[in-house]
Amino acid sequence: MIGFRKFASQEWAGLAAIFVLGSALAAFLSPSFLTEYNIYVMLRSASVELLVAFSQMIVLAIGQMNLAVGALGGLVAVLFGAMLQLLGLPLPLAILIALLIGIVGGFINGLLTTRTGINGFIITLATGSAFTGINLGLTESRPFHGIPVEFVALGDSRWSFVPALLWPPLIVAPLLAIFLYRTKSGRKLLAVGGNMRAAELSGISANAMIIVAHAISGGLAGLAAVLAVSQLGAAQPEIGSTWLLISFAGPIIGGTALAGGYVSILGAMLAVLVIALIENMLVLMKVDPYWVRFALGGLVLVTVGVNRWRAHQMGRN
Amino acid sequence: MRLSIVNVSKTFPSVKALDDVSMEFAPGEVHALMGENGAGKSTLLKIVTGLYRPDAGLLKLDGELVEFFSPRDALAAGIGAVHQERNLVPRFSVGENILLEHPPGRRGFIDYGAIYDRARVLLELLDPGIDVRAEVATLSVAQMQIVEIAKALSLNARVLLLDEPTASITDHEAEALFKVIARLKAEGVAIVFVSHKLDEVLTISDRVTVLRDGRVMASGEAIAEMSRRRLVSLMIGREERIADVAGGAKQGKVALELREIATSYGHSGINLRLHEAEILGLYGLVGAGRSELARSIIGDGRITGGAICVGDRPARIRNPNEALRRHRIGYVSEDRKGEGLVLSHSIVSNIAVTIWRRIATRLWLIPPVVERNAVTPQVQRLAIKSFSLDQTVDTLSGGNQQKVSLAKWLAAKTDILLIDEPTVGIDIKTKVELHELIAQIARDGAAVLLISSDMAEMITLADRILVMHNFAVVGEFVNDRIYENGSEAIMSAIHAAEKDRKHLHDRAAIA
Ligand SMILES: Nc1ncnc2c1ncn2[C@@H]1O[C@H](COP(=O)(O)OP(=O)(O)OP(=O)(O)O)[C@@H](O)[C@H]1O
Ligand SMILES: [Mg+2]
Repeated sequence: MIGFRKFASQEWAGLAAIFVLGSALAAFLSPSFLTEYNIYVMLRSASVELLVAFSQMIVLAIGQMNLAVGALGGLVAVLFGAMLQLLGLPLPLAILIALLIGIVGGFINGLLTTRTGINGFIITLATGSAFTGINLGLTESRPFHGIPVEFVALGDSRWSFVPALLWPPLIVAPLLAIFLYRTKSGRKLLAVGGNMRAAELSGISANAMIIVAHAISGGLAGLAAVLAVSQLGAAQPEIGSTWLLISFAGPIIGGTALAGGYVSILGAMLAVLVIALIENMLVLMKVDPYWVRFALGGLVLVTVGVNRWRAHQMGRN
Repeated sequence: MRLSIVNVSKTFPSVKALDDVSMEFAPGEVHALMGENGAGKSTLLKIVTGLYRPDAGLLKLDGELVEFFSPRDALAAGIGAVHQERNLVPRFSVGENILLEHPPGRRGFIDYGAIYDRARVLLELLDPGIDVRAEVATLSVAQMQIVEIAKALSLNARVLLLDEPTASITDHEAEALFKVIARLKAEGVAIVFVSHKLDEVLTISDRVTVLRDGRVMASGEAIAEMSRRRLVSLMIGREERIADVAGGAKQGKVALELREIATSYGHSGINLRLHEAEILGLYGLVGAGRSELARSIIGDGRITGGAICVGDRPARIRNPNEALRRHRIGYVSEDRKGEGLVLSHSIVSNIAVTIWRRIATRLWLIPPVVERNAVTPQVQRLAIKSFSLDQTVDTLSGGNQQKVSLAKWLAAKTDILLIDEPTVGIDIKTKVELHELIAQIARDGAAVLLISSDMAEMITLADRILVMHNFAVVGEFVNDRIYENGSEAIMSAIHAAEKDRKHLHDRAAIA
């Protein structure tokens, strides 16, 4: 009983329940839902989105927002494609450099935020536009197709219903958890998010932590971009252009505090899965894709509203 | 109005904060509500003001059943309150904050002239030194407290609840408040007064109710028939203890020296020497510039002139991080909520923040067990009342939050510690423990600069006392720890400085 109470009080418990019930409903409505292939497709599209959600989550942890996640992802994707097609770099080296570009992009966001004292929201609004500009200027909106076949094949490979692409986010998640909850830097980062003044007076350099958060965010956006290239089989300039909503929806539905100082990694993962599930259901039921986006927006409003209501109840009763 | 509380209970997850309590606040009486940190005082007041709903029990006003669903309801019924935590809008002016609930104006437009006039009348009663047009964010914690009181007075409430209104102000400002209370009492207002300062409770109240662990130990007994001893034993279950703070350690070398320091806050010509193993007190009235001086030392405010030496070397301290890392100077802020605590984090994490560096392993990992073991002694020594070390700090009572914000610095073991109002809102039992801890830190060799508005505390703890007034040092003496001598020396230094200033002012006016 106490075990159940504890479980139910976690913000991700509701999401886990929704996921299970939703899956049951989907299986009931559509016989093709519970097929190995369908679940694989669903998880494959969630793979990139999980990383996108983590990328936003780490900036939310310091109480800021990163509007440049998608733009940076797009830039990394095309530069990654260019490295492979134009420069003919070996794949591992290209991946490494792509991640570094992501980290540097995030680092620039962090540096500009701390140097100017302007909120990250505004800074990333500006740098996001700049990243997109570079992207489109370089590619003139044309994708790079010269991606090594084995890398594209990797994007399609699976073990039963588990796509190979799911491994990067599954490895990143525990690493993030260890970083945030077990290391000195991670704890400091959360403290800065929870109360910047108190953290500073405790001898923590808030600026350093803000830069670290943005750099990690950039690295994760870069990783998401590399995965997206593998998944799509081409380095398309529009990679990242649809990431904004999911980047916020994942962490926030999952229970991450908008004000900073608290994240729920498991919550964000479940939220992304629930969103993937809903998208999948709507597709199986042949709903117009535009309505899928509408449903997604509605879902964000409903879950955030439910969480708010729950917090209110807990404080009042 | 007569306010009756009948069989009220309130349970938070894991704590019974109030257990079947009943009491009655009569018009024209000052009713003291006493009890240890976490006894349930603030919870009771929050129920009366509609912030919390009781699990059981009821409230009656003049015998009629009332039910409040929000603070608005309580206000409408004539119940006003000063809560323990500040509730001001930082970027609004003092005047606007005071009249926030009912700003004067016409056709939807605010009449600023009227706001400032009315606010000034209220502040005049408490502290004429506060500018009604100043932005609240620029005020000190004590000044904010006075603004809160003025705000409550503006409501013309028939029942006025004061949750530790004197916690961070000096006796001087408290006297002004007591005069106002006396007047309200004569007008028939029912006043509920929560405080950990026994002396003021015994002087100004008519009746007292004592809570312990959410239960009523004494309900509405007449103060006249209550001895200090009995009151203490009702509250803490045993007799009061005198802090053992005997000095005796040899004072060491100079740890921190200020020479002719001027700051962007407006200090000028400040000289100060703090030795190892010494507690140097810094006393002054509200607005004297003590906290601002401490802030400037750690680089949170610009030094515009003079020199700082740490040890025997000149130092330029640019920010709090440098102060702590390079010079081993810690600053305990008086504003626990704004600057001391991460409210949404656990007790462990709040205390351990200053020692993560020390306990981290080579891989930068912080083993949870080591972290817990490191903070447990502090939590026990300070009797922090919680059901788990993982409880988030925002669910602790005010006094227990204060203990956490101090515990973190006691764990840090810095060479120099600047402590700003350490015992605000802390009950008499723990206060003794804290005084002993601070004395212990100094005996162990740390240099302590103590800022306190509590004169008794200052005289108990300090080896030497500097008196500040208007951003300057106006007196210094060795403290013999005898209350009469100390308070006499402090007050005469302040009065002399006042006179000097008037004199100068008059001369300037003539010229
Ligand atoms: N929001 C909350 N959630 C959980 N527990 C709470 C909450 N608010 C108060 N408590 C608990 O209720 C008890 C009573 O707290 P309360 O704030 O009423 O104490 P208090 O008498 O005002 O103490 P103090 O002198 O320190 O201000 C404490 O144990 C506290 O931890
Ligand atoms: Mg309280």
